[in-house]
Amino acid sequence: MSKPDGGTAMHRTERPLGLPRWVAAVLPLVLLAVVAGGFFATTPFASLDTGGEPLPDVTVTHTTLPDDETIVLHVTNNGPDPVTISQVLVADAYWDFDVRGAGGDATLAPRESAQVVIPYHWNPGWDLSFALVLSDGATIHHTLVAPSESPGLTTDLLVTMVVVGLFVGVIPVALGMLWFPFLQSMSDRWLHAILAFSAGILGFLAIDAGFEAFELAERVPGAFEGPALVALGIVGSLLAVQSVSAWRQGRADDGDAHAESGLWIAYLVALGIGLHNLAEGLAIGSSFALGRVSLGAFLVIGFMLHNVTEGPAVVAPLARGERPPVAQFLGLGALAGAPVILGGWLGSLAYSPTLGALFLAVGVGAILQVVWELRGMIGRRGRAGTALNLLTFLAGLLVMYVTDLFVAL
Amino acid sequence: MPSLNYPDAAALTARLEGRLVDSLRSELTTTRRSVLGGLGLAGGAALAGVGRADSQGGTAAGHDDDSHGNFGAVGEYRDLAFDPHDYLTRFNTGHGESDNVPQDVYEEDGRTVREFTLTAVDTTITIAPGIEFSAWAYNGQVPGPTLRAVEGDLIRVHFENLGRHAHTIHPHLRNLDPSMDGVPTNGPGVLDTGESYTYEWIAQPAGCHFYHCHSLPLKEHIHRGLYGAIIVDPDPKRVAERPHEYCDFHPSQITDDLRADLVAEAESRNHAYAANDAINEMVMVMNGFDTNFDGDNEVYAVNTRAFAYGVGETDGQGNWEAGETKRPIQLDRTRRHRVYLINAIEFDPINSFHTHSQFFNYYDHGTALRPTHETVDTIMQCQAQRGIVELDYSTHDPGLYMFHAHQSEFAELGWMSFFEVI
Repeated sequence: MSKPDGGTAMHRTERPLGLPRWVAAVLPLVLLAVVAGGFFATTPFASLDTGGEPLPDVTVTHTTLPDDETIVLHVTNNGPDPVTISQVLVADAYWDFDVRGAGGDATLAPRESAQVVIPYHWNPGWDLSFALVLSDGATIHHTLVAPSESPGLTTDLLVTMVVVGLFVGVIPVALGMLWFPFLQSMSDRWLHAILAFSAGILGFLAIDAGFEAFELAERVPGAFEGPALVALGIVGSLLAVQSVSAWRQGRADDGDAHAESGLWIAYLVALGIGLHNLAEGLAIGSSFALGRVSLGAFLVIGFMLHNVTEGPAVVAPLARGERPPVAQFLGLGALAGAPVILGGWLGSLAYSPTLGALFLAVGVGAILQVVWELRGMIGRRGRAGTALNLLTFLAGLLVMYVTDLFVAL
Repeated sequence: MPSLNYPDAAALTARLEGRLVDSLRSELTTTRRSVLGGLGLAGGAALAGVGRADSQGGTAAGHDDDSHGNFGAVGEYRDLAFDPHDYLTRFNTGHGESDNVPQDVYEEDGRTVREFTLTAVDTTITIAPGIEFSAWAYNGQVPGPTLRAVEGDLIRVHFENLGRHAHTIHPHLRNLDPSMDGVPTNGPGVLDTGESYTYEWIAQPAGCHFYHCHSLPLKEHIHRGLYGAIIVDPDPKRVAERPHEYCDFHPSQITDDLRADLVAEAESRNHAYAANDAINEMVMVMNGFDTNFDGDNEVYAVNTRAFAYGVGETDGQGNWEAGETKRPIQLDRTRRHRVYLINAIEFDPINSFHTHSQFFNYYDHGTALRPTHETVDTIMQCQAQRGIVELDYSTHDPGLYMFHAHQSEFAELGWMSFFEVI
């Protein structure tokens, strides 16, 4: 290649078209504003307006039952026009209701959310159907399956979530980390196999949570573009965690010994699992909040089995080299397991399908990056695609599939 | 209700329990509601099994019977607390006819008072073999107790609500006091849990009448089981004085023969007269149950239990056996038979009553003493409509005669019954 002519290049980039740089940057925006303003002022497409109105698009995102005489429907207007909820049918009968959170009336502006509060003596376990009748006669239907009372915000609930989080998140991960001395005693070949097994575990979590996220996305109000939100969450968190990893790589290349250690990767794994467990906690918490689940001993044990396999995944990268201080292990365990508690609180207090789908997606992206990282770690010391590694990766997928059967929420 | 009194009831119960537990176990572990501790919809498969061969009786029957000759739900009823055969003829006139209905009859201000205590409770009833239904019931039974009075009597009902929901009793009578109408807007309104009220109604007009809860939502409160029959017997003395009120003739058209006929009919309807003893009277309440909250009935019946008046086993060629809990209604062909028929169905606009090989006279609402429909074999009733069916099998050969709703769907979902004429 020829030597760059620095002087000429500098001249061109500083004064494009002979204008100062900032003018060149702003000019397209100014022109866009002028065109848009002109469009509104002259309405050139008026002749195309045949009077066709956009259809009302209202979603009932979820239902809460604060007591046995009250039903609350959480509704969002996805459409471009305001809608007015004029009547409410419960089980095919006109019923009393009150719209709250829509500025004092029953009209929802575009993208506005509100609660429809219905005084109704419902029965635990007896399905109810609702129809919101809009001012133009359109109906929005919703079915409440097997209603049960929502616990609402109480200290008891917060404490319950901490206990549940400890049992399904922190304790199993900590127990799993106790395999560390055993991992240290392993040969490279078997340690890599264990790392592949961890990758399998994480891979299954990514698959499972990915499907759940897209399933939940169907209940996200249309205005928030559920599937796109999930895709954005996955790619976004993948890139975010990858950028942290790349920054570490840069430090390592510059000769920072700390950055080269397995501890970094262990923290990345813990972060990925933590984000996943946050989504798991969110699911548990929201199930509680919606009264959807009786978290029996069986379910808790299922979660423990499921999550105990996450422990060795976190500590496996540390098996070579110096054993880090115990405080680091505590930090790893807390980062991986404790988010269940946080998720439980969030889920039980401020549940919405939008939040749930986004959190699941973020967890998926983080996990995918970690799987990539683990592959790189094995590859640096040997060959990643050995038969043993592939088989243990598969074993990881299978173990998670089997333990997942115990925790169907 | 007094329970069944079969000699081998205990052995039967044990055997049925074993059979039902076996058939229910697999279902119970998988249904959502059983997980949630709610209804045992376990027997859903039983209804789906309509048409299944039930001919383990051992007779070598025709080869095509299994797929065409048999019908009805599989299995027997285990819960014997309610006996639909007993319900047919259990009339409460104030003389203590039912253990579960406190009642009294006395004179007050020159008028006969028939006093009953009705209590609304939440309970579970069996509507088909193995299928339970969460019911709201007057005195624990669906349909509620049959109340019977004579035209002009005072019916005094002490009502106490022990259910979780607010309830009332609304009578289909000519009631002149709005506060006694049993609706949310009048008198005491709805009665919350633990509240009680005494309703007083004049027994008028004569006929086959209906009472039910009028709390909202109405569909729920009725189809959960809060309804029953009120039979008001005509007073022959009043009929003799005002015969034109009991037929569609003008007073000027009443002849002595017509008057005598009307009085004779009134005596046959009035439980205090000997003429009434000669007639076999039965109450049939056509009802249905929505077990899965879809606003449609999964089980139809007369007197709550699907196929309760069906046969136990049959090969479709005249060889049949009564089941222990599913058996035909026996009719003595030397007697006349009268059905007080009430339609308590919800979700479906109409119901019907059809007799095989038989035509009958029908008295719509039972308020007239001359038939409103003569020589018909099918009548229909809208929701809450009722009437009296007069049946005569004296010239029929002995044997099984079907009667059922002639909506085939209702019949095959449970409202299918037999008279066994002997």
